[in-house]
Amino acid sequence: MMSFIKPEIKIDESFYKVEEIRQLTDETFSLKLPKARFAFKAGQHISLGIKGDYQSREYSIYSGANDENLEVLVKEVENGYFTPKLRKLKAGDLVEVHGPFGKFGIEQKDAETGKFVFIASGTGIAPFRSMVRTYPELDYTLIHGVRYSHEAYDKHEYTNDRYILCTSRDKKGTYNGRLTNYLKGCTFAPKTHFYLCGNSDMIFDALEILKDKGFERDQIHCEVYF
Amino acid sequence: MQKKRNIQTGADQKFPSFGGVRRGLSFSPPSEGSGEARRVAFKTLGCRLNQYETDALVTDFSSAGYQLVELNQSPDVVVVNTCTVTNQSDQKSRTTISQAARANNNAVVVVTGCMANNFKEKLENQDNITFVVENNRKSSILSLVDAHFSGEILHPNQLPQDVFRYEPVRQSLHTRSALKIQDGCDNFCTFCIIPMVRGRAVSRSVESVLENVRKTIDNGFREIVITGVNIGRYEYEGHRFEDLLEKILEVPGDFRVRISSLEPDGFGDRFVELFQHQKLMPHLHLCLQSGSDKTLLRMRRMYDVDQFRKTVNRFRSVYPDFNFTTDIIVGFPGETEEEFQETLAAVREFNFSHVHTFKYSVRKGTRAERLENHVPEKVKNARSLQVRQLSEENRMKFLKIFVGKEQQVLIEKIVQGTAYGYGESYVPVRFRADGVQKNTVRRVKLLDLKGEGENMYLTGEII
Repeated sequence: MMSFIKPEIKIDESFYKVEEIRQLTDETFSLKLPKARFAFKAGQHISLGIKGDYQSREYSIYSGANDENLEVLVKEVENGYFTPKLRKLKAGDLVEVHGPFGKFGIEQKDAETGKFVFIASGTGIAPFRSMVRTYPELDYTLIHGVRYSHEAYDKHEYTNDRYILCTSRDKKGTYNGRLTNYLKGCTFAPKTHFYLCGNSDMIFDALEILKDKGFERDQIHCEVYF
Repeated sequence: MQKKRNIQTGADQKFPSFGGVRRGLSFSPPSEGSGEARRVAFKTLGCRLNQYETDALVTDFSSAGYQLVELNQSPDVVVVNTCTVTNQSDQKSRTTISQAARANNNAVVVVTGCMANNFKEKLENQDNITFVVENNRKSSILSLVDAHFSGEILHPNQLPQDVFRYEPVRQSLHTRSALKIQDGCDNFCTFCIIPMVRGRAVSRSVESVLENVRKTIDNGFREIVITGVNIGRYEYEGHRFEDLLEKILEVPGDFRVRISSLEPDGFGDRFVELFQHQKLMPHLHLCLQSGSDKTLLRMRRMYDVDQFRKTVNRFRSVYPDFNFTTDIIVGFPGETEEEFQETLAAVREFNFSHVHTFKYSVRKGTRAERLENHVPEKVKNARSLQVRQLSEENRMKFLKIFVGKEQQVLIEKIVQGTAYGYGESYVPVRFRADGVQKNTVRRVKLLDLKGEGENMYLTGEII
């Protein structure tokens, strides 16, 4: 959306009004904010706080760099401090955003010619949705590990041949079992760029598998979630 | 009793304009009636960046006519530059504040540094502290103190926020002068409080850095230590760390350059090649933190041990005596005995000449606070001891390499006819101080290894 605010006018760029809480599963939702002047590169994360609360958390950006909204993907942690509060937010409530941060991203030149494999567990899919929406011509395969098939967040946005859903607790995925077991049976082109995002155990195991397949650590980019 | 100054910050409170009290512009006369200069004492805790900032403040206060004294010499002003990186740092900072305030009842007590950010409200409520100044306003402490003595009402929040406002160091508490090129960090390692207390990563302009280098050399320093929170991530208008470093090395003059603590990611061959420059000293404090890939992931460190190994090997293939020192955290949540053994193996393999060992301590608000499987204190103590012992063994092995070799030693002090200094490789050297002066560089032939543990040093003679 075009902004009519003159660049020389300083506005408070830290606080954003919540536009929508988009429920994706019973536990997971996306928090939609106006993008306004917020500029970022797909793959980066923000620090998110709730007005009046002293704590903040980091979230990868779920929306594309050119989308109208700034979106993050949140899974509510049972008995957690922060995510239940985020979930209770309503349209119009204020959140504090700092960033963007991080170097987990794709070089423009690679985006045009490279082959990408995105490996995500759970909400670790967030930066990859951002990348796919930002670079529509991207040559990618997205391997997404979840427990149940309904956790395939916004699955319809990816074409079937590019999205591989690994489900460990039901049999409705492309592959029924752990993501890392699926990965063991895969072959990839030698110059593939690998991007891993999710919990540290998944990343550790996936790194080992990829290194065993002969890929260099420099080809593999990681973003750890907790 | 001086101490607490009740300053209202309400909208109806009129503050004097800041411009009128900037250093040197309206400095009030020394202690009324005494005819003597006011006296200031500094106490610094923590990292080299804090030391640099204190040194810059020392220069500021000295330029304004203050006399630099020790804490026990009845200063009019005490500045405590605190640290909050571990629980122990908090404790030391608290103790220092209490001791400084108790011993100097009439002094203005200014508390600044990372702990001042982390516990601002708590410290502001302490009666023994006059002012609490956040890191990003630290460079203007002289103005605050000056305003206080002039009877003006100035709240620390009215000081400008600028992390690079420091003047080049002229009078220092050290022989080397640090130079701040960067502040803050965006890495969000799960154990680290620094992004919360130092803020987001920000880099100083190339021109400002170079001007500072030139002035620091003009001020007589022979060694500059490039410092910051995460200097490898320096980025200013397309100039990265290597670009800046090359420009610093090109500044004319007889000086040498050291790099302070560095994160082990993102260097290329160009960085290695820069060490061929005779001004750049062959030593890096490269922060490994753990020798276990699993632990590194939980710490959210973006490298693995093999990448670290490649960096070390790359340097030592070109410069065999290259000195690496490091930081290690023991007892990080979930660290198993096996993972700890991997750390010991890494410390042994990389032959660090010094390991700065930290026992993990919870920092409120960090991600690691919420991790499971926190390690008992007893286990942390035992692991810390093992790393320190290994570090001492390494140190001996590393220093032995230099026996029979030569080093250019910068003399830091001369005590009872013995000169103390550090060679290019950051090895401690002592030799007879015949006809030599502090802050000069001498070529020394290294003859023997003496001392024990971390106090081990090389002895030598001037060639």
